[in-house]
Amino acid sequence: MVEDSALLRLLTWLSPAFPTGGFAYSHGLEWAAEAGDIRDEAGLCGWIGDLLRFGSARSDAIILRAAHRAAPCDVAGICDFALAIAGSAERRLESLAQGAAFRAASSAWVVAAPADGQAEPEIWPYPVAVGVLAAAHHVPAHDAVLAYLHGFASAQISAAMRLGLLGQAGGMRVQHDLEAVILQVADETDRLGLDDCGSACLMADIASMRHETQYTRLFRT
Amino acid sequence: MTSLPGLLHGGSEEADRRAAGRPGWDHAHQRAVGLVDIVLQRRGDVTGLRRLHQAGCLKARLPRVEMAGQCNIVTMNISGGIAGGDRLDQSIDLAEGCRAVMASQAAERIYRALPDSAPARIGNVVELAAGARLDWLPQETIIFDQARLQRRLRVTMAEDACFTGVEMMVFGRAAMGERVRWAEIDDRIVIWRGGRLLVHDAIRLRGAVGEMLARPAVGQAGRAMATIIHVAPDAGGLLGDVRQALDKAALSAGATSFDGVLLARLVANSVGGLRATVQAVLMILRQGAALPRVWQC
Repeated sequence: MVEDSALLRLLTWLSPAFPTGGFAYSHGLEWAAEAGDIRDEAGLCGWIGDLLRFGSARSDAIILRAAHRAAPCDVAGICDFALAIAGSAERRLESLAQGAAFRAASSAWVVAAPADGQAEPEIWPYPVAVGVLAAAHHVPAHDAVLAYLHGFASAQISAAMRLGLLGQAGGMRVQHDLEAVILQVADETDRLGLDDCGSACLMADIASMRHETQYTRLFRT
Repeated sequence: MTSLPGLLHGGSEEADRRAAGRPGWDHAHQRAVGLVDIVLQRRGDVTGLRRLHQAGCLKARLPRVEMAGQCNIVTMNISGGIAGGDRLDQSIDLAEGCRAVMASQAAERIYRALPDSAPARIGNVVELAAGARLDWLPQETIIFDQARLQRRLRVTMAEDACFTGVEMMVFGRAAMGERVRWAEIDDRIVIWRGGRLLVHDAIRLRGAVGEMLARPAVGQAGRAMATIIHVAPDAGGLLGDVRQALDKAALSAGATSFDGVLLARLVANSVGGLRATVQAVLMILRQGAALPRVWQC
């Protein structure tokens, strides 16, 4: 069971009110809506479910866990890995900008300075930043993954609502329906390492690339 | 240079691969093993062979094509196809300033793996010294029902080297009545440039692949896919042309660019349409150079 202080911190760090600028990123969903790949509630639920089970969100969960258990000297390597697996200019922007904002916003929760001679990573992809902070505060990795995946799903739903794909009631039905998927992915990634990262979501990759040249857009990605 | 945890790039797997890839291997089943090991050097303006080692079911041929001193290599797998437990390793090492094109003679087939067998393992290793340029142009890989494949393409390159590579995969050919229901595919392209990890592209399709490919964010029923990667100091400058070529095609595709990398992903209903578009993109990335003759058969 998650301790009170850990729960409190996760609620803060992964809240949409935490200033990571998450509202500005659609992870390619804006293009998928434009292209007609997502038309309604069921389509949205399928799209986000795919990313959670077979795509970038699953890899993020594995990366978060790796960062959580990493020795300080391994964190920079995990940062490089997280960037190298984010396969488009906008995916990289999304991870780096949110990670950097997360680091800045979490400065009130002091993290021990790195050991002598250990340089700070130059970049902080978002799942690594979350994993490292959670570990420093003894927040269990499993709980951090649940909060992270929940945050991912609710940000996607919020983007879809702002794009007019569905209303609030529909959005909350999708959030409800994705609970089982989030729980399953959090469980499945428990025993996995960076070697298990990878994605089947080719159409989502393409959507992220196509968004770069989308004519009218509300979102940065 | 940063260090990465051992689990990341499978140092032990690499050692294992090297050990198993040498003559004297010992396999439980009568499985195919193939090895091609190529080292190229430059004499004046001409790239030539310094060493070629081939063993088992893999062969390499060097057709003489007059093309500005570059070395042309065609590999072939004489086993007729790959099944679970098979192990194919290719490595190519380009010394400073070498230019080479490596293609496969035909499409590769990944057949059904027995339930208790290991996946088929294909390990490709590329080393590019300063100013070297390699075009990695295998033909498509055809996945059969219940195939299991682990494929790795690992490129280690100098800052100013150039690499252009493509991997195409087809899940059953519709015209041949092939249907893929279940498979385990783990296909990676990992590129290190100047001692730093640059790209880790990992396609992972495991389980009820037929159903997965129909899903909205996965394949939307497309069953042929391609990944094209171009790494060069000026790679981003070609993005506009590549996007134009993709927009003309009747398939789903996108291209992006970052940090001296141009990356394109394509999903199509059939291998025919996929190949035509891949060829158009390669034409741009290779400044109009003709594709190896094996591509035109």
